[in-house]
Amino acid sequence: MKTLLKNALMAGALAAGTAFAAQAAMAQDSIYLPNLSYRTGPFASTGIPLMNGQRDYMMMLNERDGGVNGVKLGYDECETGYNTEKGVECYEKTKADAAITQPWSTGITLQVLPKTNVDKIPVLAPGYGFSPMADGKTFQWAFNPPASYWDGASMILKAISDGNLDNLEGKKIALLHLDHPYGKEPIPLFEAMAEKHGFTFLPIPVGLKEMQNQSAQWLQIRRERPDFVLMWGWGAMNAGAITEAAKTRYPMDQFIGIWWSSLDSDLKLVGEEGKGYRAISWNVPNSDSPVMQDIKKYVVDPGKSLINQGEGEFDWVFYQRGVMISMMLVEGIKAAQEEFDAKVPTPEQVRWGLENLNIDEAKLEELGMTGMLVPFKTSCADHTGHGGGWMLEWNGSKFEKVSDLITPDREAIAPLEAEKAKEYAEANAPWPVNDECKM
Amino acid sequence: MEILYDILVKPFVDMVAAPDFFLQVVWEGLVSGVLYALIALGFVLIYKSSRIFNFAQGIMVVFAALTLVGLYEKGVPALLAVPLTLAVMYLLAMTIERVVLRPLVNQPDIILFMATIGITMFLIGFGEIIFGGENKVMITEQLMIPTGSYIFEPFGGFVSIEQKDLTAVVGAVVLVGVLLLFLNRSKMGRAIRALGDDHQAALSVGISLSTIWVLVWFIAGVIALATGIVWGARAGVSFALEVIAYKALPVLMLGGLESVLGAIVGGLAIGILEKLFEIYWGQPLLGGNTETWFAFVFALIVLLFRPQGLFGERIIERV
Repeated sequence: MKTLLKNALMAGALAAGTAFAAQAAMAQDSIYLPNLSYRTGPFASTGIPLMNGQRDYMMMLNERDGGVNGVKLGYDECETGYNTEKGVECYEKTKADAAITQPWSTGITLQVLPKTNVDKIPVLAPGYGFSPMADGKTFQWAFNPPASYWDGASMILKAISDGNLDNLEGKKIALLHLDHPYGKEPIPLFEAMAEKHGFTFLPIPVGLKEMQNQSAQWLQIRRERPDFVLMWGWGAMNAGAITEAAKTRYPMDQFIGIWWSSLDSDLKLVGEEGKGYRAISWNVPNSDSPVMQDIKKYVVDPGKSLINQGEGEFDWVFYQRGVMISMMLVEGIKAAQEEFDAKVPTPEQVRWGLENLNIDEAKLEELGMTGMLVPFKTSCADHTGHGGGWMLEWNGSKFEKVSDLITPDREAIAPLEAEKAKEYAEANAPWPVNDECKM
Repeated sequence: MEILYDILVKPFVDMVAAPDFFLQVVWEGLVSGVLYALIALGFVLIYKSSRIFNFAQGIMVVFAALTLVGLYEKGVPALLAVPLTLAVMYLLAMTIERVVLRPLVNQPDIILFMATIGITMFLIGFGEIIFGGENKVMITEQLMIPTGSYIFEPFGGFVSIEQKDLTAVVGAVVLVGVLLLFLNRSKMGRAIRALGDDHQAALSVGISLSTIWVLVWFIAGVIALATGIVWGARAGVSFALEVIAYKALPVLMLGGLESVLGAIVGGLAIGILEKLFEIYWGQPLLGGNTETWFAFVFALIVLLFRPQGLFGERIIERV
């Protein structure tokens, strides 16, 4: 009954939050920040902690500092259920007052990309979306800091080859991926790297209806005996894959996921059996850090957070990743306020802010986030920053950082990014490019 | 020529070359088939007695599994949580009958179908408010379902059989057996079948429509719970379980909407065939993931020759 009441209150709080944000959008002392979230549907388990982290960081700033330089952060969620059509509807519904849009799905990102050129609203897609969005001259409104999927693929290859991709020659590498734009996104990079370094690349798609019954995919893995299985999984697919890997007795130390395949609750399903599973990540949770303690003090302890404390969500990689994402957005707003001496920056000014992010070690320390996020710097030409990542490993009960910073092989990726960005612009001509950027 | 060899010869060569792997594929297909059959049974029972295609069967699986896990998380012992979950499913059946079905008696089939879509949407929203959207771990061990595995070593290779999969197969066989006995030997079972055969005639001999509908929806709830436990034990309990209901559609096309036997045979056939096709033809020749469409194509081909499905009733109307 208590849970029922709590969840009902949460739903009420979300509704109230939406109403508040809508009102805030009208006010002069607030900035409207819609988020195309998904707390329902097959992918809810991954969406909820991320959205909670985003929401709680903004709420903490509103409570602790009264917002940013006197401007309240009008965080607002529009539920998409990770459905592309609903996502586009949400974008259209929220764009009028929006200083930013956060599509939260590679499919939705691809749909709204051309629209943002017309509407002039920046798209913030941290760690997801179309990898060539890194090319800021072509994708002037889109941002995917601090690392793209191609960066992630490159970092994983670097990790499993001990830093020299030529060591992978003759090896077989399988990519278990969701059969969805997100899951297919790293394939061009893997194919290019396989050709260059002489390893066999084997993509293994998982359909939405097969996420929870991946026996065919894991039978293929048993037959093909790949040296490594890499995973681009999402939602229930992650838990399904890790369960099947344990069942198939595939060596966990040869099974590595992208950052969206590092949800604590997925691994808790297999517990000890998942020991040794690794995932690349551009954030590391640290619940004792000053920023997390402030969130605890101003949001969680007063009962304003929606997190599931019984499950330990506060400590999860995903919850704290949501915090990092909101921080990137807020830092972009702060940079815009400073540059343009504007209390409530316009979307164009926020875009400038996101193009001039400099999240270095000193900034992270100032924000109370030392070691929680890879340092990175954006520019008008580079909308990603390519900060790199760390390898996290499941120890049976939680993820631990087990590597030093791994950086992507930019020399190998950059030409492919430029080529695909050009192809995209030509296919969608007339596509406006940022000629003012002289970098 | 090479392509013909790859299609017509190589798959069978591969089956013979690695017989242990072939057995593993068949076993995995059988387990999937049993699970598909369980979901299809829920559809068939309701259709048989009321001519309603119950779109809500998938969400009932999620709702039953979440109720069970939710009760356990609230401190209810696992073995007590099962009957309590069944009580909740009975309450749900009564509510659906009273609030949705009874006012819609004698309405066209499409109206009743749309009503089950409404029930689905309501249960999704209601379930998310009560249980939240996070992944939950099925209480497999607490329900005394064994979680180890048996390893056999035939033909110099190995076949791994998960004990929980074996339990699922045995449990499904027992459940279907009890269901068939109930439908064929009990008074209520005969009443359900009578209602399915002819509504008017059944009503004229005093069979209560509302009682039978509650009973049938409750049985569908029991099947939903069994399905939820088995699927949840494989990959956790979340709203993603709902999508597995779509896997029952080709089973129903193949087996026929009114046939319990059709649901079982259709489920097993599709489970095994889609797995064999995926492993020996789909993955090597088509890049894999053929399970998303194979069952539908196979069912469509069967329908070309038997429009009523393998075990469905042939409808002849005089004009």
